[in-house]
Amino acid sequence: MENLLEFKNVTAGYGRVQILHDLTFEVKKGEVLGVIGPNGCGKSTMFNALIGLITPTQGNIIFKDHDVTKMSANDRARMGIGRTYQVPRPFEGMTVYENVLVAAVHGAGMSEKAAQPKCIEALKLTGLYDKREVVSGTLTLLDRKRLEIARALGTQPVLLLLDEVAAGLTEAEVGDVMQMVADLKAEGFTIIWIEHVIETMVNSTDHLMCMSDGTQLLIGDPLEVMNSKLVEEVYLGVEEDE
Amino acid sequence: MKRHQTGLLNQALLIVVIVVLAVLYLCAALGLIDSNVMRIMLSMCLYCAMGTMWNLMSGHCGLTSLGQQSFVGLAGYTLAVMTTYYSLPYGAAIIVGGILSALLALGLSLVFFRMRGMYFAVATWITAEALKTIFTSWGFVKKGAGMTVKLRPYPTTMEIFILALTLAIVATLVVHFLLKSRTGLGLSAMGNDADAASSVGVNIFKSKLVCFVLAGFFTGIAGVIFYMNKGSIFPTGGFSIEWTVSIVFIVIIGGVGTSVGPIVGSIIYVLLSEFLSKYPGWSNIILGIIAIVVIVVMPDGIVGTLQKKFHFEIMSLRRHAPE
Repeated sequence: MENLLEFKNVTAGYGRVQILHDLTFEVKKGEVLGVIGPNGCGKSTMFNALIGLITPTQGNIIFKDHDVTKMSANDRARMGIGRTYQVPRPFEGMTVYENVLVAAVHGAGMSEKAAQPKCIEALKLTGLYDKREVVSGTLTLLDRKRLEIARALGTQPVLLLLDEVAAGLTEAEVGDVMQMVADLKAEGFTIIWIEHVIETMVNSTDHLMCMSDGTQLLIGDPLEVMNSKLVEEVYLGVEEDE
Repeated sequence: MKRHQTGLLNQALLIVVIVVLAVLYLCAALGLIDSNVMRIMLSMCLYCAMGTMWNLMSGHCGLTSLGQQSFVGLAGYTLAVMTTYYSLPYGAAIIVGGILSALLALGLSLVFFRMRGMYFAVATWITAEALKTIFTSWGFVKKGAGMTVKLRPYPTTMEIFILALTLAIVATLVVHFLLKSRTGLGLSAMGNDADAASSVGVNIFKSKLVCFVLAGFFTGIAGVIFYMNKGSIFPTGGFSIEWTVSIVFIVIIGGVGTSVGPIVGSIIYVLLSEFLSKYPGWSNIILGIIAIVVIVVMPDGIVGTLQKKFHFEIMSLRRHAPE
């Protein structure tokens, strides 16, 4: 299967602080790649570098066979990279529908009229259709998480980046979100999914990557990665000789 | 209030506004308005135009400028130089003043758009102070002694009022239709969260540029019309922070982010200023206290609070999903 995304020796960070160090991995079309790692290991920074909020100081990011390393965030969104944020960032003064409309109009380059059915589709897929006229600043955390996904879908992405969509939710709500991600996978989206609910990642992803100190520690079959002593040591804090 | 009821209310209000404006134009043209009343309404129109532009930048797009006086002063001096030194008609000065202010905004944007929030606001303020210093020591514009505006042909107050009224209407409509457009959708998103807007495809630099240059253009034209009426300009007045303080007061009182807030705010501000002009030492203190009270009691401003309380929105910018 053809590569959709390649990270080639990417080093990036904020100002003088480098968070990612020589990070290398690739994602194939239609694949769901899970990303795990301890807090502060650079998972969200990897997303920020991937969508263009920060520019790598070294290395290259190749998306759809184009070098997008220096490309602006809005151009990358138009190329088909849709992203959710760990802490939801809805456009709070706008309604749920308007949030998705912005993404469809600016991210997918549609007219407002042409975007309408696509927005409705995204709202139905994420279970927000009945709340389409609600001002997004008044939504619950679960609905904000849903809106993050709906807005990312509004850009008509080829690659969907999910940043801890289950974080902070109740067990029942986590089930809802997991089902939503399963539906997206069934729709054929290529997904990179950062999550701390690791057991669910094993069943829902094609490959799992464990990050540590801004670099790739291990990537491969989810079960093998989960059972790796190296991952246990770094991620779960278990010493290899215990 | 249901969507179709809101639509009907908006249409009714629009008809009322059009009728009021038509009557105003007619009365002004027929000389039925007292010159003092016309002077007051002229001020309202100019502040309305400037407030509408500041509201576009800060209320809708998250771009707070404290340096709007740069555009007022630059355009005012453009009028003075063109009419006094080169005997050019004031119509040309209106256009050139607007364009020079827009060009100033364009030039500043290349540097200032790297800054965010408070840093951007302070940078615009410092620019205005720098311009004030430059004009105070520049011999060509007679340094701190200021310049007289010599208009040929000399317009009547009625003619200047009609220009100001037209500017206020055009500024309000331009901002409304801009925000209703595809670009406006992105501007509103940017005003809520620039990074998130960027990650869904909104071009942040272009969006800010549209706002800032448009605000520069219209604020500049307002400056030209103001100094046409005043007849003279000084660096201390043209580049005074008082311009921005007044504009911010107007938008806060009227309602930040509302379409008609600046209209209501400018009416209140000018009437209050007229009343308080009898108490020169106290006027700014009283205006400040009023602003604080409004912020505490009605944080959405007068229009914003009324709209929330009675569930309607004049010149609504909402996009609705198809039924």
